[in-house]
Amino acid sequence: MDEEPERAKRWEGEFERTWELLVEDESGSLKPSVEDILFKAKRKRVIESQGQIRLGMMRHMYIVLDASRTMEDQDLKPNRLTSTLKLLEFFVEEYFDQNPISQLGIIATKNKRAEKLTDLAGNPKKHIEALKRAVDTTCSGEPSLYNSLSLAMQNLKHMPGHTSREVLVIFSSLTTCDPANIYDLIKTLKSTKIRVSIIGLSAEVRVCTVLARETGGTYHVILDESHFKELLMYHVKPPPASSSSECSLIRMGFPQHTLVSISDQDSKPSFSMAHLDSTVGPGLTLGGYYCPQCKAKYSELPVECKVCGLTLVSAPHLARSFHHLFPLDAFKEIPLEEHQGERFCEGCQGDLKEQNVYICPSCESVFCMECDLFIHDTLHCCPSCVHSQP
Amino acid sequence: MKLNIDGLLVYFPYDYIYPEQYSYMLELKRTLDAKGHGVLEMPSGTGKTISLLSLIVAYQKAYPLDVTKLIYCSRTVPEIEKVVEELKKLMEFYEKMTGEKQNFLALALSSRKNLCVHPEVSSLRFGKDVDGKCHSMTASYIRSRKQQNPGVQLCRFYEEFEALGRQVPLTAGIFNLDDLKAFGRQKGWCPYFLARYSILHANIVIYSYHYLLDPKIADLVSKELAKKSVIVFDEAHNIDNVCIDSMSVNITRRTLDRTQSNIETLQSTIQKIKETDAAKLREEYSQLVQGLKEANVARETDVYLSNPVLPDEILQEAVPGSIRTAEHFVGFLKRLLEYLKSRLRIQHVVQESPPQFLKDIYEKVCIDRKPLRFCSERLRSLLRTLEIADIADFSAVTLISNFATLVSTYSKGFTIIIEPFEDKTPTIANPVLHFSCMDSSIAIKPVFERFQSVVITSGTLSPLDIYPKILDFHPVTMASFTMTLARTCLCPLIVGRGNDQVAISSKFETREDIAVIRNYGNLLSEMSAIVPDGIVAFFTSYQYMENIVASWYEQGILENIQRNKLIFIETQDAAETSMALEKYQEACENGRGAILLSVARGKVSEGIDFVHHFGRAVIMFGVPYVYTQSRILKARLEYLRDQFQIRENDFLTFDAMRHAAQCVGRVIRGKTDYGLMIFADKRYSRSDKRGKLPRWIQEHISDGSLNLTIDETVQLSKHFLREMAQPFRKEDQLGLSLLTLEQLQSEEMLKKITQIAHQV
Repeated sequence: MDEEPERAKRWEGEFERTWELLVEDESGSLKPSVEDILFKAKRKRVIESQGQIRLGMMRHMYIVLDASRTMEDQDLKPNRLTSTLKLLEFFVEEYFDQNPISQLGIIATKNKRAEKLTDLAGNPKKHIEALKRAVDTTCSGEPSLYNSLSLAMQNLKHMPGHTSREVLVIFSSLTTCDPANIYDLIKTLKSTKIRVSIIGLSAEVRVCTVLARETGGTYHVILDESHFKELLMYHVKPPPASSSSECSLIRMGFPQHTLVSISDQDSKPSFSMAHLDSTVGPGLTLGGYYCPQCKAKYSELPVECKVCGLTLVSAPHLARSFHHLFPLDAFKEIPLEEHQGERFCEGCQGDLKEQNVYICPSCESVFCMECDLFIHDTLHCCPSCVHSQP
Repeated sequence: MKLNIDGLLVYFPYDYIYPEQYSYMLELKRTLDAKGHGVLEMPSGTGKTISLLSLIVAYQKAYPLDVTKLIYCSRTVPEIEKVVEELKKLMEFYEKMTGEKQNFLALALSSRKNLCVHPEVSSLRFGKDVDGKCHSMTASYIRSRKQQNPGVQLCRFYEEFEALGRQVPLTAGIFNLDDLKAFGRQKGWCPYFLARYSILHANIVIYSYHYLLDPKIADLVSKELAKKSVIVFDEAHNIDNVCIDSMSVNITRRTLDRTQSNIETLQSTIQKIKETDAAKLREEYSQLVQGLKEANVARETDVYLSNPVLPDEILQEAVPGSIRTAEHFVGFLKRLLEYLKSRLRIQHVVQESPPQFLKDIYEKVCIDRKPLRFCSERLRSLLRTLEIADIADFSAVTLISNFATLVSTYSKGFTIIIEPFEDKTPTIANPVLHFSCMDSSIAIKPVFERFQSVVITSGTLSPLDIYPKILDFHPVTMASFTMTLARTCLCPLIVGRGNDQVAISSKFETREDIAVIRNYGNLLSEMSAIVPDGIVAFFTSYQYMENIVASWYEQGILENIQRNKLIFIETQDAAETSMALEKYQEACENGRGAILLSVARGKVSEGIDFVHHFGRAVIMFGVPYVYTQSRILKARLEYLRDQFQIRENDFLTFDAMRHAAQCVGRVIRGKTDYGLMIFADKRYSRSDKRGKLPRWIQEHISDGSLNLTIDETVQLSKHFLREMAQPFRKEDQLGLSLLTLEQLQSEEMLKKITQIAHQV
């Protein structure tokens, strides 16, 4: 959250009518500025996602990337595709940062077909590489929601029940070319408990609205690039774990990485189990993670053991996902006039100037909105609470 | 919630109310208080129907002596059903709040076709057949014949109703068409006659315009309705045309041929009766000598809605001697027919006034004015005497006799135009005699005179002041309401130029211009790339649409558009159109996206709503002027100028703009809906055109959205669509465009509400 998302250059932006924004609103009804609505939505999201809602810790998500003709549109700079890929790279990093024991896969759709760019895997590097490679793809034809969703479904439906199954669609086109009735597919998705969320790049499409509503996902349409980023980041946080999902104790293995040097006589290079079925990637390696149960070797974590089915993670991964189970309470929002006491924010030490201030319910410290968002989105603990603890 | 509308307690069945609904009720109350007529314009989708019903029902309950009945006229059966649904909600609310059963009867009335429960008759497909079949089983002489001949088939539902139904009035309740049918089946009574009988004592009647405006039907159904009724014409923007159509007659050669055979049947039947039952004819004769006095008595006591076809004077006179006997009358009809035939045998267009026509008919075949005036009454009497069951077969001769009565009764407000061929096909002889009504006030006059309050309302009635002029009445309230919005969900844009700066317009001089057609194509193709789901495009006429689509095909524009969306076309064939419409909706539903090309004044532009994704944008290509070369129109314009001081151009523009407003209004069907309204013609920028749009559209047209190029339109649209796609919840509306009772009662809000209504 270091850089304020860069606004597009003035001349690159939409054809703006700045003079109209100044129109004083006498009736009190016209043009409630969109920013205001957005602000509220932003704030709402914080409140909604808070409370003692248990969030899913392990996630399996497919990103469906529209690579159709419309992605060449230049309303995002330099064009929709490049801009999207850049943001997705950032998203992938954030995703694994916040959900280390989760997995991700990427599907691209164009020319009425869907193809997998990467398989479900827990290593950000591979995905980022694939995204970088995708910059050069030519965008052509129409996307197919049906094909990409059914491809994602085939892969996701075998995932264990205690994890979340999600699809995030980045949808640029306004049409979809489907081989069969998509409403049947939506029913199947619903019954297999796959959440489909969509980010639209152009406008609200009916079928997406239904798709998101039926499967329990969200549907948003971007306003500009910074809004796009915000919407993407929204998906970094795991969705609430549904009560119907299995919640049993899960056996997990914590393999240690064994490093072996070439000079060691005993060492023999061996295949990593993860690479057995994929043709690409390194073949023989020396060191790796060995499953504590069956000793199968893996080169990356987290992974489900191909041999004995044990979930293999590392301890720090688990720790970082842990906070989703115990989210920080939402701060109380009160108008500035009603607030007595400190006139500066506990977090950034800046003056409180906005309409509302936010108060931590346990330590009663005051924060400004920016800090409030920062604490809930990134820190996950109230700094002054932590500070006051011995 | 319970509202206090200017001292009147109104039950409103919802927890929230739109500010404009409150304002609307205030105006309506003023109209009822003054016992006068009103013209009210309120945007569609803002709950007009429930406001009307809530207020009038409350008024009826508060002042049962001042307003005894509400007659709600709507256009189509689905609309009628919708009104009944709202009314049911209202009554449920009443019952919940007061805790007692309401003694209130409301019912919908429709044609026999929609109400018949007779297993054989109701299976017939056409309304005309159902009417004919029903008549042949229920007419009084058929029923009396039953006594002599038990083999005659009667309708058992009607018999049962006759025997029992009339004594017991329909119990209180709200009946839609299906309820009536179910009730009829249960009791074994005919729902149609039950409904027709029950409207006399019902508190609310909901039926189609024609039951009041078409003199032939109004006479049968509505003439006994109480004077202290409130009449509401909903969706009344076309009411003048309905009035005119109900008084006009078109006669073609086919009609005359069928009349010929009708007359022959009449003649042979008379012959037969004469041999068997001459007394009957004599009896009829003596009745006719007495004149139509009985009808006159009824009218004087003000029980009946007067029939404009049958003017008062006629009733005081006896039927003239020349047509009193049946044979003479048939002979008279024959002469009339021959005369009409000779008139249709012409090579050039003739236009004349009714007096000219009468003079000519007198000179040629010695038919006087007086017998002509009695023609339709006389025919009715004859058909009754001859006991001809199947009236449907005699529609041709009835038409001719109606024409004869009308032409001899009205010397003003009508014109006769005889055209030997249609304008489009000058080589094919297809003579038509148009007897055309030019004064819409004639048909509606009895309604205004008879009933205490008549309210004309619609989403698009601008400019309001023209309706009182053309319908010739004096309203006590004329108001237009705006739509209060929490977000500007409609975006009217006027596109005046292509990207090449060539002005686009459908005006006659440039409509064939290739640059204009290309620019129209570009506009549609650009819009198809950025608007999601459905787009509806309206052209000014079928012919223009065909031309444009053909040249888009040649230029390859059509192919470009089809890459983005499917294309469907409205045709003059109703079955084809409804098929196209169905597929269009399917394509919008499953994400394929579609464009519907249709025609202003067509079926799509009038009756079909494109809610939400079914219409995200509507494009109006050109200004939908009526075909100005039509002689009927020319005559009407002349008449309007002479009689009402309405300039031709004003009326034409008014007519074009109301249709344009109707077309674009199809996309916004509520406050959560949103849509683009694109007017693709340079001429819309002019204030004389723009000023005639409804106020709720006009106030969103800023100077910045006039005369745009296609590029600018695309930019603005893109922005609008993205903004509208942002989440929109009920809370965002609350307090601005949706009010709770507390919010409504605040000083500030009441002040704002007074600004919503715009008095003319």
